[in-house]
Amino acid sequence: MKLSMTLMVLMLLATPLSGCLEQDATVDECTVLPPGHDDDGTLRILTYDITALSEQVTDEFTNQTSIPVEMIKVDDAGGILDQMMLTKAAQQADLMIGLDNTYLPTAIENCLLQPHTTSVANLSASASTFYDGPLAVPFDQGDVCLNYDEDALSEANISVPTHLSNLTEEQWKGKVAFPSPVSSSPGRAFLVATMEYFSHQSEGDAMTWWSAMIDNEAIITSGWTEAYETHYTGGYGEYTEGYIGDAWMTVSYCHSPGVEAYYSGNYTHSTSLMLEHANFHQVEYTGLINGAAQTEGAQLFMDYLLSEEINANMPENNLMYSVLEGYDLPETDGYRHHADVPNAVTTMSYEEIATNMETWLQSWKTTTQQA
Amino acid sequence: MRQTPRWTPRFVVIFAYLTLASLPFILALVRLQVVTGHTPIEAFWRFGGVYGASEALTFTLIEASASALLTIIIGLPIAWHLGRHEWRAAAWYRAIFSVPFVMPAIVAAMGFLLLIDNEGMLFALGLDFRTETGLIGEVAERTGWQHPGHFLALVFAHAWFNLSLMIRFVEPTLARLDPAWEEQLGLLAQGQTRLGRIRHLWWPVLGPAVLCAASLSFLFSFTSFALVKWLTPFNNTLESLMAKSGGSAGIENYRVDTSEIVMSASIVQCLILLAALYLTATLQQRHSSRFSLISESGARATRGPPHWKGRLIVYSGLIFAIAPMAAALLASFRVRHGTIGTGMSYQWSSAGWSAAWSGDLSTMGIGEALGHSLLYAVCTLCIALPTGWLLASTIHALELQNRPKLAKALDVATLLPLAVSAVMVGLGVLLGVLKWMPSLFQWDLLPVLPHVILTVPFVVRVMLPAMRSVEPKWSEQATVLNLSPLRSWYHGYFSFVRGPAVVASSLTVAFSMGEFGASWLLVRAGSWDTLSVVVDQLMSRPKFDPLVQPAAMAAASVLMMVTFVLFFLAERFRPEGDGGGF
Repeated sequence: MKLSMTLMVLMLLATPLSGCLEQDATVDECTVLPPGHDDDGTLRILTYDITALSEQVTDEFTNQTSIPVEMIKVDDAGGILDQMMLTKAAQQADLMIGLDNTYLPTAIENCLLQPHTTSVANLSASASTFYDGPLAVPFDQGDVCLNYDEDALSEANISVPTHLSNLTEEQWKGKVAFPSPVSSSPGRAFLVATMEYFSHQSEGDAMTWWSAMIDNEAIITSGWTEAYETHYTGGYGEYTEGYIGDAWMTVSYCHSPGVEAYYSGNYTHSTSLMLEHANFHQVEYTGLINGAAQTEGAQLFMDYLLSEEINANMPENNLMYSVLEGYDLPETDGYRHHADVPNAVTTMSYEEIATNMETWLQSWKTTTQQA
Repeated sequence: MRQTPRWTPRFVVIFAYLTLASLPFILALVRLQVVTGHTPIEAFWRFGGVYGASEALTFTLIEASASALLTIIIGLPIAWHLGRHEWRAAAWYRAIFSVPFVMPAIVAAMGFLLLIDNEGMLFALGLDFRTETGLIGEVAERTGWQHPGHFLALVFAHAWFNLSLMIRFVEPTLARLDPAWEEQLGLLAQGQTRLGRIRHLWWPVLGPAVLCAASLSFLFSFTSFALVKWLTPFNNTLESLMAKSGGSAGIENYRVDTSEIVMSASIVQCLILLAALYLTATLQQRHSSRFSLISESGARATRGPPHWKGRLIVYSGLIFAIAPMAAALLASFRVRHGTIGTGMSYQWSSAGWSAAWSGDLSTMGIGEALGHSLLYAVCTLCIALPTGWLLASTIHALELQNRPKLAKALDVATLLPLAVSAVMVGLGVLLGVLKWMPSLFQWDLLPVLPHVILTVPFVVRVMLPAMRSVEPKWSEQATVLNLSPLRSWYHGYFSFVRGPAVVASSLTVAFSMGEFGASWLLVRAGSWDTLSVVVDQLMSRPKFDPLVQPAAMAAASVLMMVTFVLFFLAERFRPEGDGGGF
């Protein structure tokens, strides 16, 4: 009785407040918003734990420009979009780094970014294909695809899959880990890859395949880290506390085996599954936040990120490809040798992603829930 | 004459606190209503259809009940033997048993993972809780129980975490029980059998304390997040489900599904926890009234030193309490050499500590992060202690004025923050600050706000039983000594509650230092990271670098050691027979 009374009181309190909490009127056309916070001379960057953005890198920027830098860190790329959406009325950061091409259309549609003046003349074609507008600049890139443990397959005497439907067979039961597309950006990228893959097949469709994968006890994790570090047998998870090692295959980058080799003295038993169109070219962007206070510092930092100084060491410092022409992975310790390059890359257009992403996610949720 | 309390300033502070404590939840609820288009009642009824919610609720209820039961099974024998005999190092033991309760959950999770992994102690004993081979695998295969190892690891971790609740509630009652009661019962027919003694003596005396500790264990296991995330990767509690969805909740025309999850789950969770808290408050009141003024030292001396069985149980308990922390400390010195390809080996080295102190691997060194944590903790203490004190003294004053219903209502209201999900607190604070004062985001001490909300209930829980035990005549006697009002208050009142006040302070500081959940939900610049945030940042780095793990464990060890020191200091002020509350 008292509990229900308490709930009723909370609800009664909640009702009159609802009017004053509704969000500001929707902006029909994107206009540059006034600063959401005071400009105290510090550049605030909204990002996730991108390894390239070390203290050394930000200190160097501060030495060059005398602009101090502070990081507002969230869990992942999705967290950057969530944070910008939540604080739309009063943005607390000036620059975002890390939204990828599965999230960028949503950010642009919601007027979360404002035009920048950074020069993008020497961008590689692969980095600029998806979006070359004035609201975001590519920062790094890589192809998302399935990675598998060669040793595990060899020991179990299982053939390398030649079609995604092979993964729905009994021998793969409980042996594939996927980061959820609902909460993970590589997971989202791979969902897009499956849409593209099945659009090139004469039979079957992506959602039927996902349903069959759930029936085959595929492991779904909330993020890439859990899938790769905790479950995947082919990666560096063995170094990690909490490693379970129950999945022979997972979603990562096609060059992840190269990274494994680079850090393990040219040794890896992980490799990429090179199925045509079963991959997605991911580009991560940086952009000036609409509502930024330190726009000058943000512009300078964008220029700094696209400098040769940063891009020359992108594969070692950020474990991703540079977005500039003329830079590739290093040969050191088998980095380039073990990094796979897909033949037919999924290059879904900006419009396709913008139009369909939410529908695909909803379908995926419904499908996996019903399976 | 006992002075009549000044009600107006009291109620201003109480109103301010209750507003502060409930407003984030209301703000979050209102925003979620706007986003989803459902009223709270509709959201409650839609719970069953929300993605993953029913499974999460089932798992949460099972694991929380099992955790509470295991806490009783492990904690009661320890409390029994610790309370009934003369232990030379009793203060040390109590402090050791207390530390797990204030350990940051991520540190506890790492400690348990170190114990159960393939090179851990339990694996060597044939118990593979992680990859579930051997005996655990056999259980899984024969019973069809999915991941029993993960579940057992979680339940044991929760029992470890809540062990101090059982000891803090039960041990003081036992320690002050007059041995003559047992002797007299032994002469009666009802005391001839063990069952009779339990029924006629132990259950009436210990029952409320045991149930109170169990209901709080249930509550803390119910809201577990980090331990669930790390130890049972295949399952969600309602809290972990909300935490995974919370980031994108509350945004109009975007990911409405996550808002639905958070809204429905938070309402169901709040109702269940309110019931648990009501039970806790009722039991604690009954438990407080059962205290009698029997000398602890006298009672202990009558029963003498512990026998071998008692020693075995208490020492085993100490090993259980220390093991995860010791594992984390050892791991801070254990550095990997080589790779999977070339073959791995481990060497003992302080390189992890050097890396952690210099900040090579994180945005800042642990010295700086410790400074931030201490500053937050001190600020939290400065607000939470007087607020909690005032709330507790008001509840007690209402009880003395024979207004039990109002006293009970206020008592339960102070516990409300414990019933609200950290996700809702974070979202509510964020929405409130955004709406009314966005410039607060640039204020480095903003995390103090959720810390205060979350620590005040503990101050009340510690201070209230202590205030109930102070006889009004002591204040009256001090008044007639012609002392200044301040000295009169000090000698006639404060000196009797000084010990619990120190315990409450140390608990507040320790909680604030270990708090992680509410801090990371706020939009803050990273230059003010706390120690627990640094531990989490380090743990999320790729482990190619062999120093990442030792550095994270070094940061966690600093946090553990500071907590140890706080509790040992608090034990020095703990009065004889006082349970230290909670």
